[in-house]
Amino acid sequence: MEHSSVQPAPSKLNKVPEITLVFWLVKIMSTTIGETGADYLAVNVGWGTAITDVVMSIFLVGALMLQLRNRRYVPAAYWLTVVLVSIVGTQITDLLTDNLGVSLYTSTLVFSGILASIFFFWNRSEGTLSVHTIFTLRRELFYWGAILCTFALGTAAGDLATEELGLGFRVGVVVFLALIAGVGLAYRFKLNAVLAFWMTYILTRPLGASLGDYLAQARKYGGLGWGTVNTSLGFLSVIVLAVTYLGFTQKSLEEVKK
Amino acid sequence: MKNIRLLVVIVLQIFPLLPRASAGEAASKLGDLSEFRTVVVDTQNFALKGDLAKAKIRVKDLETSWDEAEPALKPRSAKEWHAVDKAIDRALEALRANPQNAELCKKSLAELLSAIDHKEHLN
Repeated sequence: MEHSSVQPAPSKLNKVPEITLVFWLVKIMSTTIGETGADYLAVNVGWGTAITDVVMSIFLVGALMLQLRNRRYVPAAYWLTVVLVSIVGTQITDLLTDNLGVSLYTSTLVFSGILASIFFFWNRSEGTLSVHTIFTLRRELFYWGAILCTFALGTAAGDLATEELGLGFRVGVVVFLALIAGVGLAYRFKLNAVLAFWMTYILTRPLGASLGDYLAQARKYGGLGWGTVNTSLGFLSVIVLAVTYLGFTQKSLEEVKK
Repeated sequence: MKNIRLLVVIVLQIFPLLPRASAGEAASKLGDLSEFRTVVVDTQNFALKGDLAKAKIRVKDLETSWDEAEPALKPRSAKEWHAVDKAIDRALEALRANPQNAELCKKSLAELLSAIDHKEHLN
């Protein structure tokens, strides 16, 4: 029963959402939760990193099974998976940095390499990297593999810039926004859409983290002083509202034009 | 005269060619760490009195507040941040060991205090 339901969906429905402003807003907020959520469980709740990592990975596998089993895009399952990928992607980098002593330069390079090879094999196997035609199991696995990798890479590159190189989260927000705007502008001038999408996907990770830090950090540190718990709960509520809204208005039931 | 002095100060702020603050002042690039220092001193006092159970409870406050402040403090000096962070990890490890080794707890807390006071890693 488990097996038969994870077969490639026979229909031609795209399993992932179209790229809209709401898509990016929810994605950025998921990122903040990825940054603070796991930390909250590990430190404040006192689970420690080991248990938190295991629990979150199990949740991710569960959510991914649910997402893969669906035959069409279901906002709740899709975005639950993104939030958990965000948490686990962050945990992978943190584990390497904090526990195994891997430098952020190394992890940034390694994740760039892994991401590049995922794209290489994805393109070779499917002949396209389009996120508008995710309707087979294999394509969807490439998609989620790439997404997990962008979160790990975004964490490593973002922490490298804001923490190790001392940019700080305030300058970070401005810099990452400017870089995203640059990608958007380049897209207007015919930058490849696939490249623009994935570059934005990577850059929104450190943007979300810096933005979350800006809202959460104490005023004496230059933040707004909301605290991590309130910031995360606030973002989580907005995500739930947005996803509920998307659930009512989703358009991806439309058949993908071949 | 005042203007010239102001100009020099501004230029030095923008181009800190000379190492900031003489070594004697031992000003941490991390800024004001007194809030964390207080918790370490509290913990140390419990440990010195032999109340390692209370020390273990109190040190949790340090773990939480230090972790919370990471995005703000680490950019100021990643190197100094790592030095203090490692010292905190060692103290947490000692206080959470089962069974606790009283000498190790005291030693790690003393080292943590000097890391916070910027005594061990002046280069």
